[in-house]
Amino acid sequence: MRLLTGVCAAIATAALAAATFAVPHVSPGVFLDPNEIGKAPITSWPTFNGDYSGERYSTLTQIKPANVNRLAQQWVFKISGVGAQRGAPVPTIKCTPLLVDGVLYITIPNHVWALDARTGSQLWHYGWVDHGGHLVGQRGVGIWKTTVYFLTPDNWLVALNANTGKELWRKNYADARKQYFSTSAPLVVKNHVIVGVGGDAMDMPGFLDSFDPVTGDLQWTWWSTPRKGDAALSTWPNEPASDHGGGMTWMPGTYDPELNLLYWPTGNTNPVFAGQGRPGANLWTEAVVALDPETGKLKWYFQVSPHDTHDFDNTTAPILFDRVVDGKPQKLLAQAARNGFFVTLDRVTGKDLVVKPYVPLDWSSGLSPQGEPIPIPDKDPTVGGSINIVNASNWPAPAYNPKTGLVYVNSVEGKAIYYLTDDSAQPAGYGGTGDGIGHAQRVLQAIDPLTGNAVWTHAYPNLNNAPSTVGPSILTTASNLLITGDDQKNVIIYSADKGQVLWHHEIGANESGGVITYKLDGKQYIVFGAGDSLYAWSLPQ
Amino acid sequence: MRHRIFRVVVAWVFVFFAQIAFNQEAQTGGQEGAQQQVTYRNMTPEQRAAATRAFLGLGAEPDKAAAARGAPLFEQTCAFCHGPQGRGATGSSLLTSDVVLGDDHGEHLVPFLKKGLQEKGMPAFATMSDEELMDISEFVHLQVEEVANRGTYHVLNILVGNSSLGQEYVAAHCMSCHTAKTFVHIGSKFRLPEQLQRGWIWPARPVSSGNSLLAYTASVKMPDGGEISGRVTQVSDFRITLVDQAGKAKVIERKPGVEVRLNDPLAAHQQMIMTLTNADMHNVTAYLDTLK
Repeated sequence: MRLLTGVCAAIATAALAAATFAVPHVSPGVFLDPNEIGKAPITSWPTFNGDYSGERYSTLTQIKPANVNRLAQQWVFKISGVGAQRGAPVPTIKCTPLLVDGVLYITIPNHVWALDARTGSQLWHYGWVDHGGHLVGQRGVGIWKTTVYFLTPDNWLVALNANTGKELWRKNYADARKQYFSTSAPLVVKNHVIVGVGGDAMDMPGFLDSFDPVTGDLQWTWWSTPRKGDAALSTWPNEPASDHGGGMTWMPGTYDPELNLLYWPTGNTNPVFAGQGRPGANLWTEAVVALDPETGKLKWYFQVSPHDTHDFDNTTAPILFDRVVDGKPQKLLAQAARNGFFVTLDRVTGKDLVVKPYVPLDWSSGLSPQGEPIPIPDKDPTVGGSINIVNASNWPAPAYNPKTGLVYVNSVEGKAIYYLTDDSAQPAGYGGTGDGIGHAQRVLQAIDPLTGNAVWTHAYPNLNNAPSTVGPSILTTASNLLITGDDQKNVIIYSADKGQVLWHHEIGANESGGVITYKLDGKQYIVFGAGDSLYAWSLPQ
Repeated sequence: MRHRIFRVVVAWVFVFFAQIAFNQEAQTGGQEGAQQQVTYRNMTPEQRAAATRAFLGLGAEPDKAAAARGAPLFEQTCAFCHGPQGRGATGSSLLTSDVVLGDDHGEHLVPFLKKGLQEKGMPAFATMSDEELMDISEFVHLQVEEVANRGTYHVLNILVGNSSLGQEYVAAHCMSCHTAKTFVHIGSKFRLPEQLQRGWIWPARPVSSGNSLLAYTASVKMPDGGEISGRVTQVSDFRITLVDQAGKAKVIERKPGVEVRLNDPLAAHQQMIMTLTNADMHNVTAYLDTLK
């Protein structure tokens, strides 16, 4: 509490008892049928990725190449009264806003706002006073019927009335004293509220929890590392290493309703940079896992970074799409992984179609029989320093456009010297550090997921390095628009097929959260967070 | 031109700490990389540890004086089972222990130690004083701190290379641009070997004005045929800002017909970084460190 400013503490304390109202809510009120969530988002954006696929693709065409230069700002909602948060001098919106029944929901750590999507004015605000946890970001809320779900830095799942902001219940699912912290957006699948967790400062195991949307009762837990009796324990030297092996689940997964499978990306292995105490592949960290949403049981996995020692933290969205390959319709999954490999899998079986570097890298000697990259031991962090790539992507959302058939990612090409700072036989925590060296260049890439080759690229000119912590997310539309931004406060719209710059506009900060689009009262809006402000754009009447 | 790059070595050593903060986003740490490390580099070790502690939302700060008193007590009474740093031996690791992580300053640990944990074969330490058990508790908390708070980490002795091989590398790879003068006393221009290692691979560019030889330059051809050139302060897809030879700042919108040609005097170093082997890096650092 001492870490909050006076104003904020006052707001937050008041909000704990009852949410603060600015204006009465419009009737009939927000209601989201969970069966609607998987459908193409047109007049709503009801879940983190818009739908379950992670494509971040909109079928809307009102805004198109011929009229983008007429785009005009409709309103801006600026966060005020929060002040500096630990680690962030000004609040930064890193969420993807949700829109249901004309109400937008946005978050930063410890705060939720409901806004009138027509005006950007506040309907209600909910504040939380954390007792620990890392305030590095907050990705947004999940919604089921009339309930909004929010995750706090200190690992509480909080259920709020979507129409009033009033707290319904709260549930603690991880101990902040063990350095677990939460930044994710809960994923609502049928009657499951699926919650991932972060935190790799200590050596703790990652997990995924599923909660009942009404009662908050725990339905199942899936652990990111194997427990006693599991064959996957052979990828760890011993049980304690697996029990403390990391694999956080801090970004929302994707879901295929037909196959009824969840696809979750798992984070880095622990200890992070010091791998000498955990010889082996270290399953199921650094992987994409397919889980049964009813039970949390593992169906298959593909480990993108076996035995990671570079914080390759495999949390970039696994995107689901269907294509005809060799004359046969196939259900695919693609990920532009943080380790620099582009991966396309058969999402029914987990079998690989493409595993190929999409940035210049030299840390892998080839692929294993399972198609997984084999790391070169000389590239591991050492006392004297070892040069390897910086993360090629991160949490900002990539996208897929079914019309162009391309996956879009804002990648980073660059190197760092990785030092081993804990060379003992029993390392712990991070056990090392990385130090960026040379220029880190951000490059927008349009990648053919059937070959792994870039069809076009756009290197953003910039004297400064691409920031490793915040990068622009991507949205594409059926009218051939690709909406993203650079690291110099420009929102940029490209043609999705060719990568031509169609429009740009300089705003107050770099785009810092997810870009969404929807139709409201017949008008298509583009909405995104940048720094402490949420921007809404559309064509003038 | 390039042979003069290292003549500004002295200048950039002075701005090294402030400079790095802007030039480099270190790629380490947490969900999103180490944004904190960027600004943390110009802090003292104590400041860095405190700032990282706040950033990560870590718990109570261990009492270092008490931990120092607790160190020999831990060594005598605990290390045999839990290892010298509490990372586990025949007994479990204390770093991830629920009892340890649930405790701030001995309020839970002291009564726990008094009783022991008979079912796991841990003896009771009933004869030790509260103060002694408190000191042991703080020692254990310090072991946790030194793992969980990566602001306390420090790079070990990185001088692991072979200096004569490093000398050969420099002779073979650097002298087409540099002269021996570049390397005179270079080893004494950095406080720490890791700064030397970083500094020779990727010299920092001065932030402030002045016609630095390491600054990006550009020549911009305007639609009317005119040309503007100078030191670039920033460039995007849509705009370039530069300081011309007369010291005048220019902002040029990159409209159709405007052609920008950027020149990076460190381009050869960027190329080197993309292919430099660890052995060459270690050997050259070991060699340059001898040039005091």
